[in-house]
Amino acid sequence: MNILIVEDESRIAKRIERMTRDIFGDSLQSLKYANTFHEALRFIENNSLDLVLLDLNLNGDSGFDLLTTAVSKSFHTIIISAYKDQAITAFEYGVLDFVPKPFNRDRLEQALHRAITKEKIETNTVKILAVKKRHKVQLIPIEDLLYIKGAGAYTELFLSNGKKELHDKSLEKLEQLLSFSFERIHKSYLVKVSEIKEIIVESGSKYIAELKNGERIPIGRTKYKDIKAKWF
Amino acid sequence: MNLRSLYNFFLICLIFSVTSCSQKPVFKEYKTLFQIGDQQEWATKNWNDKNWKERIKLVPDGQIFWSRTKVDILKTPDPLKLYGLRLEVYGEYEVYWDGVLIGKNGNPGQEAMLPPEGKLWATFSIPTHLTEEGEHLLAIRSSLYYFPDHTGIWSLDVDYYDDLLTDRLIETSYMHIFAGAFLIISFYFLFLFLNNKNEYPTLIFSVCCFLVFALVLTVFSKDYLPIHYSLHVIRLQIISSLLLGISFLIPFYFSMQFPYSRRGLLLILYAGVLIFIFLVKHHAFDFKAVSMVLSMWCFSFGVVSYGAYKNVRGARLVLVTLLLSMVIFLASGFVISLYTGLGLILLGMLYLLSLNIKAQRLAYENSLVQSTRLRLELLKKNIQPHFLMNTLTSLIDWIEETPKKGVLFIEALAREFDLFNQIENKTLIPIAQEIALCRTHLEIMEYRKEINYSWQEEGIDIEQKIPPGILHTLLENGITHSLPLEDNSIKFKLIFESNSNYKCYTFLTFATRGRQATTNREDGTGLKYVKARLTESYHEQWDFTSEPVNHGWKNTIKIYS
Repeated sequence: MNILIVEDESRIAKRIERMTRDIFGDSLQSLKYANTFHEALRFIENNSLDLVLLDLNLNGDSGFDLLTTAVSKSFHTIIISAYKDQAITAFEYGVLDFVPKPFNRDRLEQALHRAITKEKIETNTVKILAVKKRHKVQLIPIEDLLYIKGAGAYTELFLSNGKKELHDKSLEKLEQLLSFSFERIHKSYLVKVSEIKEIIVESGSKYIAELKNGERIPIGRTKYKDIKAKWF
Repeated sequence: MNLRSLYNFFLICLIFSVTSCSQKPVFKEYKTLFQIGDQQEWATKNWNDKNWKERIKLVPDGQIFWSRTKVDILKTPDPLKLYGLRLEVYGEYEVYWDGVLIGKNGNPGQEAMLPPEGKLWATFSIPTHLTEEGEHLLAIRSSLYYFPDHTGIWSLDVDYYDDLLTDRLIETSYMHIFAGAFLIISFYFLFLFLNNKNEYPTLIFSVCCFLVFALVLTVFSKDYLPIHYSLHVIRLQIISSLLLGISFLIPFYFSMQFPYSRRGLLLILYAGVLIFIFLVKHHAFDFKAVSMVLSMWCFSFGVVSYGAYKNVRGARLVLVTLLLSMVIFLASGFVISLYTGLGLILLGMLYLLSLNIKAQRLAYENSLVQSTRLRLELLKKNIQPHFLMNTLTSLIDWIEETPKKGVLFIEALAREFDLFNQIENKTLIPIAQEIALCRTHLEIMEYRKEINYSWQEEGIDIEQKIPPGILHTLLENGITHSLPLEDNSIKFKLIFESNSNYKCYTFLTFATRGRQATTNREDGTGLKYVKARLTESYHEQWDFTSEPVNHGWKNTIKIYS
């Protein structure tokens, strides 16, 4: 695990660092601490990370710019903040967890556990996916999203207007965030359940999900049983 | 019907009731003829006065002269009722009606020897047998010692004797009620001014009301305060002076309510015009009165129109009252329009004052709300999540790792809360208390941030007072927006300077500036708080600057004395 802590209160940063080291033990490869947004951004752009622990209010600035950049990246983001009222927005942007201050080891461990075990978020609703463009971050509302196709380390987002966008997060990570309304129907596909019109069984035990816009997406043989059990 | 249209309705009713009160006269007056000399026969009805003059310019040395006026009685009086004759004539005289002496007003011909006697307005009863319908003759034997060029009958009225006396008293009593209302208003606004000496419009309004009261009293006291004709000029001079004051103060008041450019210059010019009118034509009092009042109307109209054009509150309604008074003037002449017009204009001024009082009340309520808001903001400093939750998180960590230091941290926190409790409901606190607050805050922040904060002072005068929490706010900004120097330290320095013009606090931060600090600090809520506190305690008498400098940040607060 490669982890970045973004926190301007030295004492709190040390606390997070100590606990994180303790929780991850040997599986921790690197741990870096940044106390300004500038430093954090630079580090994110130039290093490969698995997890960022982010305080939203550094040196009097709101951290939502950094948040949108962070959530567009391949790693998961966990917010550690004094402002509980920002939790809903943070979740809408697709963070893995929101740890309110003051926190104890148990609460931090619970959050980090989500990152380790790939636990799915069932209760919270991501409203927006941030997609990194050349010079900016584009925010895509989840309601415009039809399905997602895995493409190696990246994913392709298929939108209702016919467009396709690339996202840095893996299909597994997005599945973790979007499992409340999306279903992994195939090794390479994550589909919004409400968009599925019908499931067609073709000869040779081929299963196909037909979407409302007519697109056909294959259903994995192993996944079919789960879907059937869950939805019918 | 809303209040404003109701008000207009009453105004219109008032005008109609004032203009519809005239009755048909019971007599017709012909030209008066004069002759110097003294013959008792000149009193008789049928004396041939063909050679008499229509006008005598001068009757010197109090000589006796006679005047003869033909009067037609148009209607025989009702039974048991008596006609009377009311005269405004300069001089001391005897009155003959159809050759019969019906009254005496002073001692004609003996004025130089005897003290002044008789009054300017006199009423005489006419014997019933001499008031049959038809032609009659009024002859007056008089002398004019004091104003030898004022021959003539200035006013003549024949009516029922009782009515001549009572009508005027009734009119006078109404006018006195009118005057009394202005006296009360005048006192009321004088007291308002005495309680708030900055409110000059209330004083001007009070003086205007008093002048109108005095004017009405002077004009209408003639029916119960007899004056000798030799004193009449003094009365007219008093009336003119009162009109001069009113004519200047009303436009002056409007100028204060509806400001325009070059106000001072225009008002001086206007005052010049009024004084010119007042001094020119020494004895033309009617001319002076009309000219001054018309000038007042024109100037006021200009000022109020400008106010209405600029959309100043209340200007339109005042403009309506001005136009209304002009309509009354055109419809009913000067005397009636003067009093109704003045009444209307003063009502308009009263309305403006009530608008002012309302605006002041709103401003006061607003300031109360603002004070409460500032107080809450001060209280909130310690419970806002960024401070509280970060402090608690650090505190937990200190307690878990080094409990002894954790206790010291809690003590520092307790001190800061205690200080906040002491200053929470004050608008000014001793500078020492504010500094103590800052030092405790630094202690807390040192535990949280693990940066070496240091505090320095220079030239502090511990007698000085300062609004609570403003240095604390600047300190918070300094901590939040700065990064430590190479040696992991941030230094703060407070410098106090004072001279006869101002007191100045300079608050310096020595640190590495945060990257975004320059853009975000301009209108941060912290600085808004500082400015609002300074305004609360020093109104406009302060300056505040906050700017980046080489070594970090510099704030200056100047308080002018």
